[in-house]
Amino acid sequence: MPEFPKSEESEKAPSIPEPKSGDLVQGTLEMLILKTLALQPMHGYGVALRIEQVSGGVFRVNPGSLLPALSRMERAGHVKSEWRASENNRRAKYYLLTAKGRNALEAETEQWDRQAAAIRRILEA
Amino acid sequence: MTWLRNLTTGLRSLISKPRVDSELDEELASFAASSAADKQRAGMSPREARRAARAEIGSVAAVKHQVWSSRWEGVLDNFFHDLRYSFRMMLKSPGFTLIALLSLALGIGANTAIFTLLNAILLRPLPVLKPQELYLFGPGRAAGSAGGLPDDKTQLFSYPFFREISQKTQSFSGIASLCSLQLGNYASIDGAPYTPVHIDLVSGNYFSVLGVPAFLGRTISTDDDRTAGAGPVAVASYAWFQRQFHGDPSALGKIIHIQEHDYTLIGVAQPGFFGVTVGQSTNLWIPLSMEKEVSPGWNGLNDKLFQSLYLIGRLKPGISVSQASAETNAFFKQVLRAEYVGNPPSQKELQAIQHASIELTPAERGISRLRRAFGLPLKILMTIVALVLLIACANIANMLLARGVARTREIAVRMALGASRARIVIQLLTESLLLACLGAGIGVALAWRTGAMLLNMAAPGPEPVPVNLTPDLPVLGFTLGITVVTALLFGMLPAFKATSLEFTPALKDGRGSSSAKTRGALSRSLIVGQVALSVLLLIAAGLFLHSLLKLTSIDTGFDKRNTLLFSMDSSTANLPHGTPDEIRSVHLQEQIEQRVQSIPGVKADSFAFFTFNEGGWTSDVTFNGIPRTPENSRAVANNNVGNGFFEAMGIPLVAGRAFNDHDTQTSPKVAIINETMAHRFFPNESPIGRRFGFGEDTAHSNDIEVVGVVKDAKYFGLTEDATMADYFPCTQNVGFYGNFLVRYAPGANRQLLVSQIRAAIAQTNPNILVTNVSSLEEQVDQSISTQSLIAKLSAFFGVLAVFLACIGIYGLLNYSVARRTSELGIRLALGAQSNSLLWMILRESIVLLTVGLVIGVPVALATTRILKSQLYELSPLDPLSISTAVAIIAVMTVFAAWLPARRATRIDPMTALRCE
Repeated sequence: MPEFPKSEESEKAPSIPEPKSGDLVQGTLEMLILKTLALQPMHGYGVALRIEQVSGGVFRVNPGSLLPALSRMERAGHVKSEWRASENNRRAKYYLLTAKGRNALEAETEQWDRQAAAIRRILEA
Repeated sequence: MTWLRNLTTGLRSLISKPRVDSELDEELASFAASSAADKQRAGMSPREARRAARAEIGSVAAVKHQVWSSRWEGVLDNFFHDLRYSFRMMLKSPGFTLIALLSLALGIGANTAIFTLLNAILLRPLPVLKPQELYLFGPGRAAGSAGGLPDDKTQLFSYPFFREISQKTQSFSGIASLCSLQLGNYASIDGAPYTPVHIDLVSGNYFSVLGVPAFLGRTISTDDDRTAGAGPVAVASYAWFQRQFHGDPSALGKIIHIQEHDYTLIGVAQPGFFGVTVGQSTNLWIPLSMEKEVSPGWNGLNDKLFQSLYLIGRLKPGISVSQASAETNAFFKQVLRAEYVGNPPSQKELQAIQHASIELTPAERGISRLRRAFGLPLKILMTIVALVLLIACANIANMLLARGVARTREIAVRMALGASRARIVIQLLTESLLLACLGAGIGVALAWRTGAMLLNMAAPGPEPVPVNLTPDLPVLGFTLGITVVTALLFGMLPAFKATSLEFTPALKDGRGSSSAKTRGALSRSLIVGQVALSVLLLIAAGLFLHSLLKLTSIDTGFDKRNTLLFSMDSSTANLPHGTPDEIRSVHLQEQIEQRVQSIPGVKADSFAFFTFNEGGWTSDVTFNGIPRTPENSRAVANNNVGNGFFEAMGIPLVAGRAFNDHDTQTSPKVAIINETMAHRFFPNESPIGRRFGFGEDTAHSNDIEVVGVVKDAKYFGLTEDATMADYFPCTQNVGFYGNFLVRYAPGANRQLLVSQIRAAIAQTNPNILVTNVSSLEEQVDQSISTQSLIAKLSAFFGVLAVFLACIGIYGLLNYSVARRTSELGIRLALGAQSNSLLWMILRESIVLLTVGLVIGVPVALATTRILKSQLYELSPLDPLSISTAVAIIAVMTVFAAWLPARRATRIDPMTALRCE
């Protein structure tokens, strides 16, 4: 079940929406999206929901940062999009991983692993 | 090719923005629907779920904005949006827009026009191969021919010396030469009528040294310049070729007839190449070997002392200028020592050689006498127009500040809705840039023809000065540059000011926020700056005008009114040169003089070598039995004149007689001298009957007898000091002198006279061409045309500057009166006198004026020194000019302030009190 731990707050100050990707290390959002889409094509909400669920609610991705990221990735050729019927019978834009995106995911994962291992070594030294 | 796809996708989404937008809307809607459905499943009521989902997404517009700005086309999209918005804002305040555009158009237009001239005359390099390697021998100031042993900084060289140095030089990869005078002549192509042509006589290696290739055919080669008279070929300039032959390549091989000789057209030079002299445009290049044929009266290929050539060398790579200079000077002295002096040389000759030198001057930008004449005036004008633009910027900045206050509310609303400060600053700067670009567009349109017009005003003459004034890359770059700088100058401050506001009070009423006070201080300092700059410009204008006034009131010594001056060309008349037969030219002149004399309304007429401001011929003279003193050894201005000359010029005879029919080729040689010459040689006695000769040698001092003395006049220019002058009858110094001066009775029909005189000349000899008709008045005006142009332009810009400053003051006070309406109303209601209110408002402008003057006048006093060389007998601290400037600006600013002040006193207290 999804949780909305900050829903009270976001109702109070809706006027100046800030992208909430500050929680995420810069650039990792795209990697997470790639990883999510590697399972199956999804629409925007599906991606957000999946990231939130898998991360145990740690990462909440709102449309203000998700859609620009998807738009950037589509422009870069990592994903492509098509309109399909969604589970509640609306037209929704589904995103699909391309071969190029798959390669990017591999490269980024590898780099992330290296960096994470390095950081861990430093923290444990 | 990702970037290419990126580009095309971006452009496509930009074009079909509405579709992309609606897709985004739909995506967001389905996002919200999915989210709400989820939340409902988690137990929320449908209503609650929808609300929560919407809250989660936040502002749809903001999300869309973020998607747009994640793509490159988002920047463009913003820009277009800003542009549209700016247009709307401009249309909303047409008064502001009009004044801003007008002052920008004038400012940028004037800057572009002056820079076009500056670029063409002072900056543009020659269109040749590696122009920075080219060096001119000597400064290239003199033109014509110099005789005698070089004893100074030498700038003109003989053909034999050129042949020698161009063969022996080690420092230059090549040395070319050209005749220092461009020869005006008449040419007939394939038997067609004669048309004027400008001819440069050049050495065989001229084109190869400069690195100018042929566009068609070939250029002149060293073979064409090997033997005197054996190179009858010509190369045309591209422009002339286009004009004469409309670019038809079959023109090659055509015969061009000049001065009884035929030349074959062998080639066309590369487009854009007009020769090496800026301000002259060459039509034909002909080898120097044809000097005698092209210019029968003026030649000397084998004469070491006929020094008439400019030398241009191309430095070898790796050789420094000082090395080249050392080698050249050593060689020069060696040649002078070996070939120019007696053996053994006299002490005097040795001294002359000692002083003789060649100064290598960079020829990257060609040779130019225009540059010397207009260099400083152009720089002064450039400064003036730059200051005017600065004033215009201050003015617009001020108006923008005022508008910024009026738009406080709008900006506060936009910021509250989530626009970042940077976004609004960029939008405001886009408005400024749009304004500047529109102004620049109008300005460039204004400047398009202005450059040529200004040049024509500065150097009037029958033909326009051939300077290429088509805007090139530097000019376009300059205009673009000043446009952007201008926009930033006037837009930056108001934009930052407008966005640094406090929200709550600004949203509440949009007026009276705390920024109003600092805005006041800012606009006040801008106005002080405007006043200071305007007074500087006005003082400069005053100085130029006062100097011009002094120039025009100089006594010329001759009567410039009621005269006509005909310039004639005899090159197609086939007159004899350098033979005893040459007296035929003088007879021809006498026939014309007689014929014209009989036309009703003509009082006197005469041919003359020179009238006024036409250059001259000077020499030293020695009187028989008079020792030389520093006073009397100065150069004497010589002139050859007809019998009616003094009457035609209106120069009074003070002693002796004028020339008459008894002064013939065979009678004793006679001369008439001016008072200065008489006084310097004979302080205490009459010079009539005394004898003198040319040069310092007493052997000739018995040659010529003085028969008359005339009053002094001006000869070369208005500002010259008293000059010694002598006149000889044309009969005793034969030649055809193309200047024909006519004095007519006051009130005579000028138009009719001109056609009658033209007819008389044509009747006498139809081959004599009248090339120009002017008058002594025009000659005098032309001699000070640069000064008069500067005076007029600086006065115009000075007045413009004051006008702009006044608009600034008017705007500021008008605004402050409007803002203080209720305060003023209260004051009036409480019994304030309208006079004291008037004074209260006026006081503000007087403070600004005083501060502006206190800054501007000392700056002016410190800087007008640079103008000294352009002022005639006038101190750069001329009190009259300064006080007039101060008075004008004081009256104007007080007037500008008086209008809003008077309005303040007319406020109806009741309306004022209700107003807020």
